[in-house]
Amino acid sequence: MRPILLKGHERALTQIRYNREGDLIFSVSKDQQICVWFSHNGERLGTYRGHQGAIWTVDVDPTTTMIASGSADNTIRLWDVKTGRLLKTWDFPTAIKRVEFNEDGTKLVAVTEKRMGHLGTIVVLNINPDVNAEQSDEKALVIVCEESKATVAGWSYLSKYIIAGHEDGSISQYDAKTGDLLLNIPIHELNNPITDLQWSADRTYFITASKDKTAKLITAKDLEVLKTYTADTPLNSATITAKKDFVILGGGQAAMEVTTTAVRQGKFEARFYHKIFEDEIGRVRGHFGPLNTVAADPTGKGYASGGEDGYVRVHHFDKGYFDFMYEVERERANKLAQQAAQAQAAAAPATAKA
Amino acid sequence: EDAERISSADVAVVEARRRLLNEWYAWREAIEKEVAEERAALGLPADPAAELLKRKIAEVAPDAQEQVIE
Repeated sequence: MRPILLKGHERALTQIRYNREGDLIFSVSKDQQICVWFSHNGERLGTYRGHQGAIWTVDVDPTTTMIASGSADNTIRLWDVKTGRLLKTWDFPTAIKRVEFNEDGTKLVAVTEKRMGHLGTIVVLNINPDVNAEQSDEKALVIVCEESKATVAGWSYLSKYIIAGHEDGSISQYDAKTGDLLLNIPIHELNNPITDLQWSADRTYFITASKDKTAKLITAKDLEVLKTYTADTPLNSATITAKKDFVILGGGQAAMEVTTTAVRQGKFEARFYHKIFEDEIGRVRGHFGPLNTVAADPTGKGYASGGEDGYVRVHHFDKGYFDFMYEVERERANKLAQQAAQAQAAAAPATAKA
Repeated sequence: EDAERISSADVAVVEARRRLLNEWYAWREAIEKEVAEERAALGLPADPAAELLKRKIAEVAPDAQEQVIE
């Protein structure tokens, strides 16, 4: 599993996103650039320039037509993927920490930062998926976080709920149409901020990462904690792999936070856990600083990590990864294959007759 | 005796994993069914992103006909 090193950013990475087909990787950084790369060879396809501050977040719509980005320059920007054209800028009183498109690309949820005189908010914008259309200035919804500011947010299946992770370690479920708070559950240790929230393919469950050194798998419908993955370092990011039942966690303590720790003890590794059994099954080294973001290719072929060191590392999984199975998983796979064969055998005479 | 104890511990671990695996797939089946029904009731496509992509391709090349090359 030789990684491809993507060199192009000059400062710490903040978020990485694959498009739905898994052929493109979008990365954002404190260097005020958005980069897009071919995932298979790491070639840079282009950059999107215009932000005047660190970029905290990026997302790509389901048809890879547009990307949205959020920055410390207090704007959300919408870009045409193909031409790099800036389609729209929305201004806010504070920085944008997170953006995410819903499942049909018609809405964008954004998290705004809390600052003196401004509470943190969760904002919804309507998006016209046509690149040539005028985009609305209006905010479709504003949720004010009075208790604890949101750090991350996203859309559930059917765009039914907005799920947010907060600075105090809790998770909220909001009605996505009305903005009503339906549930708020202290899922991570108190006052350990939730640093990431990423979805399963069908958006029925998600994974959170927290500074409390754990990641949790949670249902969108009831915010029930299904699984807990325990690491030995504060986590910045967590992602769910396709095809295999794994999760990947990234984190590490910055050198300035742990003056007594040498770089090699900084734990700058991507950690793989079995999604269902919660066991740690492997680590991937490479970064020289904490991993700020990890992203799994939605087609299951690989993953990418972005570090405080300014590098994106793209990994393509090898045969050993795909072959790896627990005994009980192999048992289940064999049983399913047997059942499929039996069903086929039973259907065969009928087909032959027809 | 030792070997027996070890193997019974192994059996317990395997049993626990089998139970976790079954629980997971039972939940997946239930939630997938529930969401599929909700989608159908709202008249929404089963895979929204696939549907969007189909529409986008139709827009880009409205006259393109599917060709089967053997």
